[in-house]
This record gives sequence, structure tokens and C-alpha cells, in this order.
Amino acid sequence: MTISFTSADWASVAPLTIVAVTALVVLLADLLAPKNANRYVAIGIALVGLVVAAAVCGRAYFGHDYAAFGGAFIVGGFSVVFEEIILICAFGSILLYGTTGEKDRIPGAVALLLWSTCGAMLMAGAGSLMTIFLGLELLSLALYCLCGLADRRTAREAALKYLILSSTASGFLLFGMALLFGASGSVALADLVSPALVSNPLLWLGAGMFLIGIAFKLSLVPFHTWSPDVYEGAPLPVTAFMSVATKAATLAVFARFIYAALPPGVDRRLLLPVWIIAAISMIAGNVGMLAQRDLKRLIAYSGIAQVGYILTALAGGTPLGLRYAIYYIAAYTFMNLGAFAVASLLSDDAEQGSTLANYRGLGHRRPIVAALMTFFLLAMAGLPPTAGFLGKILILSTSVDTGYAWLGVVLIVGTAISLYAYAKVIFAMYTPEGHGHTHDVRPFAPLAWISAVACFVLVLLMTFYPLTPSNVLPLVR
Amino acid sequence: MLVLLLVLVPIIAGLVMLMLRGENPIAAKATGAIVSAGTFVGALLVWTGGSEFSFRWLSRPFESAFHFGATGISIWLVLLLTVCTFCAVLATNMPRTREFVAQLLLLEGTMLGLFLARDLLVFALFWDLMLLPVFFVLMGWGQHHATAWRYFLYNFAGGLTLLLATAAFGVLFGSTDVIGREGVHVIGSWAPWIFAGFAFAFFVKTPVWPLHTWMPLTYADTPAPMVAVVSAVQSKAGLYGLIVIGMAFMPDYLRAATTLFIVLGVISLLYGAFTALVQTDAKRVVAYSSLSHLGLIVIAIVSFNPIALQGAVIYIVAHGLFSAALFLVLGYVESREETRSLTRLGGLGAKNPRLAGALCIATLAALGLPGLAGFVGEIIILTGVFQVGWTWVVILALIPIVLASAYMIRLYQGIMNGPEIADLPVRADLSWIEGIALAPLVLALVLIGVNPHALTTFDPTLYSVAAPAAQGTGR
Repeated sequence: MTISFTSADWASVAPLTIVAVTALVVLLADLLAPKNANRYVAIGIALVGLVVAAAVCGRAYFGHDYAAFGGAFIVGGFSVVFEEIILICAFGSILLYGTTGEKDRIPGAVALLLWSTCGAMLMAGAGSLMTIFLGLELLSLALYCLCGLADRRTAREAALKYLILSSTASGFLLFGMALLFGASGSVALADLVSPALVSNPLLWLGAGMFLIGIAFKLSLVPFHTWSPDVYEGAPLPVTAFMSVATKAATLAVFARFIYAALPPGVDRRLLLPVWIIAAISMIAGNVGMLAQRDLKRLIAYSGIAQVGYILTALAGGTPLGLRYAIYYIAAYTFMNLGAFAVASLLSDDAEQGSTLANYRGLGHRRPIVAALMTFFLLAMAGLPPTAGFLGKILILSTSVDTGYAWLGVVLIVGTAISLYAYAKVIFAMYTPEGHGHTHDVRPFAPLAWISAVACFVLVLLMTFYPLTPSNVLPLVR
Repeated sequence: MLVLLLVLVPIIAGLVMLMLRGENPIAAKATGAIVSAGTFVGALLVWTGGSEFSFRWLSRPFESAFHFGATGISIWLVLLLTVCTFCAVLATNMPRTREFVAQLLLLEGTMLGLFLARDLLVFALFWDLMLLPVFFVLMGWGQHHATAWRYFLYNFAGGLTLLLATAAFGVLFGSTDVIGREGVHVIGSWAPWIFAGFAFAFFVKTPVWPLHTWMPLTYADTPAPMVAVVSAVQSKAGLYGLIVIGMAFMPDYLRAATTLFIVLGVISLLYGAFTALVQTDAKRVVAYSSLSHLGLIVIAIVSFNPIALQGAVIYIVAHGLFSAALFLVLGYVESREETRSLTRLGGLGAKNPRLAGALCIATLAALGLPGLAGFVGEIIILTGVFQVGWTWVVILALIPIVLASAYMIRLYQGIMNGPEIADLPVRADLSWIEGIALAPLVLALVLIGVNPHALTTFDPTLYSVAAPAAQGTGR
């Protein structure tokens, strides 16, 4: 059997190819560029590559959906929107590389981040179990290296933890995929949608294992314990990337799986445990946030809860719910990137920069930085006038609409709890600082400033112009 | 457009003031006074000329717009708010004046947004926002952080149920651009829960027994200028919501819960009055008296009687005026004598005649002296409630009115009369600027007391609600 690919097949992965090639160029540039300039050369090339990829990718949104490579990769509004979110996230994270400390400036880091981006984009369009796994491994392998590259004990610990736990999750995922393959006799997601499979225990078991693997990657409770440690140890730009891009890509796989790849009649019963752990995550993530003393850990716990909110939007399985989930993911991207950009403004030593003690008295030392941070924290808490507020309203309305109001109530309770944690940080920023030294050394970091202000504007704009993409129903063929 | 400016100008002015550096109390107060006086003029223009602004926000899953405009009842609250903020800014005498005045302006702007909102979602948005300035002031200037958290968490819990109810309302009705619109009725199996969500938020904010436990602490701990605005206007947000949302859109459920609300209102009335009688902290006396007075307004609203409703509107404004005046005067006393304990204070009247006069007028208005605004509101409410046939409620409501005289006179006597206490600091009497800060409130109290007619004209939508029950009960 000969397999031949048409030009449409190659066009479908053009954005991925551009990102991957950019990574190669960046790697070469790291070698060739003069020592003192090489950071900015690498960053510059990477950013240009991402912009080109985003432009190429965006064109497909207006075209017809089609399956490339025999259904392995599916191009359509859904994949385009997720790929754009991932590209934006990569863009924001690489901007932060401009301000990281000496220890985190490792040649090759930017290239690895780009490869990781490539993997995440592959997941966003994946139409078969093989592509999902390929994308996931590309994403994760690059991230293991990125976590461990910095010359710090916590970074090595983070990398090892991430490697072991993430591999366990991959094991679950892969085993689930094997069972699904056993049930349907095919790796294509499209072949799972067959009424004949409803009574097949292999499908139930396989889908269950698959979802456990996904829950691991989304760091849902009770599979969440790795994320605070890993976020804390990884360099700031990597944490920023991990906290958004990994989640966006995994959510894309999850959404495609539950919207398009389950036989009719299976979804409600099969997915109930997922909604239950989403509810637990909303509570546990927010409760976990209360005790944190480090911004990155705080954001890790907040991320656990935020994924719960996004799953609430998906629970009904309606197109509108998916649109609101995407809106919330986009809002979450910008508020997280913004918070990390502000964090990177405060210190160039990644280990010191994110402890919350550092934020004490910030409102008096640097009112504008403090105001930006306050805004992003309010957005995460879902207070007006931010996209987080509107996102929660939209999610609540869709949960009421689809009969999952109990998830909406849990969301409300979780938000109430989280507020205490966010308000504590905000309040610390506006209390006059006590004794003790404060680490506040960055003179001027233009890239991080641009990133923070851009995120601020976008989160604000999204509140008043809540555009949600209409052409996003995931397809499997 | 004017209404939008009314909301945005104080918020932007407050934010800019927060971000500035340096400390110049006179400039800060002058800026605050100019901005709040400007909003008062703006509110007058809106009152006489009307103004509306609308900008589409959402079209899915329900229609929503940034829709601002005054309704017949909200314009009174807007005028009250702008006057109170102006007085509070003038009366400010705090460390870190610039930040404090900025928070006052933020509070004014967010509350103007709340009262001018014609869209439920915008209403919910400002409901959450207006908690922040008070929280920050409690954290920065109050004595106990626990008070700030209690205020914030209680009220935000209310805000969240409001949010959930708003989302559900939008999904059921298809639009949240409804405040002040006629013929909006929500029915269906969800409707009672929606009503419950709104009612919980409103009753926490008002507050009504047994959801009041945040209130005495907050009122005692918040610095006087801000608590004057909070007690005068922010506490009315719940009552305002009960009228324009609960009563206008879900009258059937409000009727169904009448007994419960009357019981809660009567308990608030009695409990507040009796507790006020024994407090030793002067600000707590006023706080509990507020609980008592607002209980009366809750009863007036749930009676669905046009006369009682008119009384409620008058009493809402009157209570705003006299409680603002009381808190401002108590703030003057506290800043002079460095205590507000009634056991410690005494005999100030002899050396401070102007201060004594100010407190005298404020307490007299609060206890319902004929000729001042409080009396008009009380008598009209009681007439209306009597007309409905709730004789026993009227009789029970008379008890706290008598008690009001007792605790208000006790408050005045405890501070101003009696022998002079030797170890109290002797400070200058009321300055002219402190007097000016009180003048608008006293003037308005007398004007409304003599001629309350202007306040009795309000929305036709409320009358239609007061008419027999609309069709449709919960399916």
C-alpha cells in the first residue's frame, strides 16, 4: 500500500512546520550570534517565526474544515482557534525570556519552547489517537528539558517530578488508547463514533483510562499534586508557558474527544465522573491557594480551579458551551501571561522573584506595577471589570441552560473561597512594607512591560467586546 | 452620555488620585470636593433633563448592554449619594488624605454605576465593585482586619448569588436589559431560586436580621466619612434592588415570601432598637438603629401598598440623610476626644455649642421629630401598612419608634450633657468647613420634612406592580 499526500495535507501542517523550522534557525542562531547579543537574536527570530505561523494558521479559519493525512490531522475553526491561543502563549512566554536572570538564560531554551509549541499545536488539530500521543510527547519532552535546564536544585527537582508523573499519565493515556484501538480496530477518532461500540466494555475501559490520562495533564484533583511543585521550580517563562499552553492543548484534545469522538448514548454516563472531579477541583484548587506563599504555586492552584470552570462550560456538550470555554481559555491565557509578566518585572532571580513576601508594599514602591498585578488577580478571581468576570457569567449561564446548575453553584462557592486568597495578595501589596529586605532590582525591562500592558488591554477589551468564535465545532472527519 | 460621565468621572478621578505620589491634604480634599460637587450638578441635570446611554455588550446567551439611565426611584438615590459624598469629602480628616478621598470617589462612582444601571448584569458588576473601596478602607484605616474580611466575604457571598441569579435570569428571559422596563415577568421552575438568589444578596446588604452580623463591626470600624456614605447609600442598594428587581419582575414570589419577610423585618426592627438601647459605642448605637429603621422599610416594600411604597422612598432618602449626618458628627466627636465610648464621653455641650447643635439636629431627625424628614417617612409607611390591614405589624412597629427616642436621646445626653469630664482633651469647636459639610444634609432634612411631595412621584412601573398580582405562578 502506498500512501501519497497531497499539497492540502502539507498545507494543513504549515504553521507547525514554520514553528519547527524557526526552532532550528533559533538553534543555529544561538551558536552563531555573538555572545552578548545572542539572547535577543534568538528571541527576535522566534517571535517573527511565531507571527508568521499565526498569520498562516489564521487563514484556515475562514476555509472549509478538512481532514489531512487520512484523518490524522484536522484543520478547521476549532484547531485554528486553539493553535492561535497556543501561539499567543508561546509569544508571551518567549517575551519573558528577555528578562529572566542569568541562571535561566540557557542557549537552546527558546528552541525547545518552540518545539513544545509545535507539539501543543499538533494536539489542537489531532484527529487520531496517534497524533494526540505524538503531540503530547513532543510537548512534554521539550518541557522536561526546559524545567531542568536552569542550574538550580528546585529546577532539577521540578524536572524529575514532572518527568515521572507525566510519564505515568502518558502510560494511562497510552493504555487507554490501546484499549480504544482494541474496541474500534482503528486509531482514528472518527471510528469511535459507532453505535455498535456502546456495549463494548473495551470502549468504556479505554475511554476511562484515556480520561484519567487527560485529567493528569490538566492537573485535576486528585491528579494535581505535581503542578504546584513543577510550576515553582521551573523558570518563569516556562511556568508561564506550561500554565496555559499545556492546558489549552489538552483541553482541545478533551473537547474534541467528548464532542465528536464518543458514540451517542455514552457521553452522559461516561463523563459524570469527569464533572465530579471538575467540581472537586474547583473547591480543592481554591482551598489549596489559601496557604500558598509563592506566586507560582498560587497560580498553579488557581489553574487547577480554572480548569474546573472551563470543564463546567463544556459539561453540557453544547456548541455555545464550547464557545464560552474557548472565551474563558483565551481570557485565562491573557491574565496568566499578564501576571507572569508582572512577576518577571520584579526580580531577575527566578527563585526570589515569585515569593509573595516580595509583593509587600509594592503599591507604594511601584504603584503602576502593583495596579497591573491587582488587575490580573482580580481577573483570575472573576471580579469586574475583567474578562474573568464575564467568562464566569457566560459559564454560569450555560451551566444553568444545560442542566448542570450544580456545577455553577460549585463554581460560585469556589470563587468565594478563592477571593480570600487573591485579596490577601492584593492587600499585601498595599500594606506599607515592614522591616526586612525586599528584592526589587529590575531597572527597566521593555519586553515584559509590553507583555504586561498588552495583556491588560486585551483582558479589558475582552470584557467589553466579548467576541466568541462561531466556527469552532470540533469535527473528526 | 451624561449618565456615563457621571459614572466614569469619579472612578477615573479616584484611580488617578490613587496612583499619584505625595501628600497634600488640602489639594486632595479640594479635588474630591470639586469632583463630587460636579457629580451633584450632573445628577441635577439628569433629574431635570434626563439622560440615557446604551452600548451593546452581549448578544448571546442573553442580550445585555451597558445601559445607564435614571429611573424614578434611582434618581433620588443618585442625588442622595452625590450629596453625601460631597459632605463626606469635606468632613474628611484622616491620615493619608489623598488615598482616602480617592477611595471615597471610587465608592461614589461604583455606586452611581449601580443605581444608574438599567441592565441586571451591569447592576451585578457594580454590586461587586462597590465592595472594594470599603474593603480597602477597612484594611488600611480600620482597627481590625477581621472586620474587613467579614464585611467583604459576607457581601461578596451575596454578590455571587446575585451573579448566579442574574445569569439564570438572563438565560430564562433572554435579556438582562430590563431594569425599569414594564411587563418583565420571570416564571418557570427556576424562578423561585432566582428570586431567592436576589433576595439573599439584598438582605445581606441591607442588612436584615439574621444576616446583619457583619454590619455593627463594619460601621464601628470604618472611618466616619466613609461609613456615612456606606450607611446612607450603600445599605440602600439592597432595598433599591428589592423594589426594582424583586418587586418589579418577580412579584409573585415576593408575595409568596411576604410572611417570612415581615417576620424578618419585625425582628430587625425590634432587635435593632433594643440592642441600640444598651450599646456603649456611639457608632454602634447608630449602626443598630439603622438595622431597626431599615427593617421598617422592608416591611413597607413587602406590603405592596402604594402609600407604603411612597413612604419607603421618602424614608430611604431621609434615613440616608440623618444617618450620614449622625456618623459625620460622631466622627467629629471621635477625632476631638479620641474615643466614642458613651461611658467615657460626657459634658461636651458646654464647651462645644456648635458641635452639640449639630448632633442635636441629627438625633432629632433620627428619632422622627415632626417637621424633619424621618417623621414623614415613618408616618406614611405606617399609614400604608395599616391600610393593608396588618394592624399587628403596625403596633409592633410603634414600639421601636418609641425606643428610637430613648436611644437617640441617650446618645445625645451621653456625649453632650452631664458634668464635664476632666481628663477628656479640650479641642476647638466645630470649624466652618466641618459645618459646611453638614449643612446640605440638614437643609435637605428640613426641606423634605416640610414638603415631601416631590419624592412621592415615581415610576409608573412600580404602580403597575402594586396593582393586583400579575398572571402566572411558578409552573
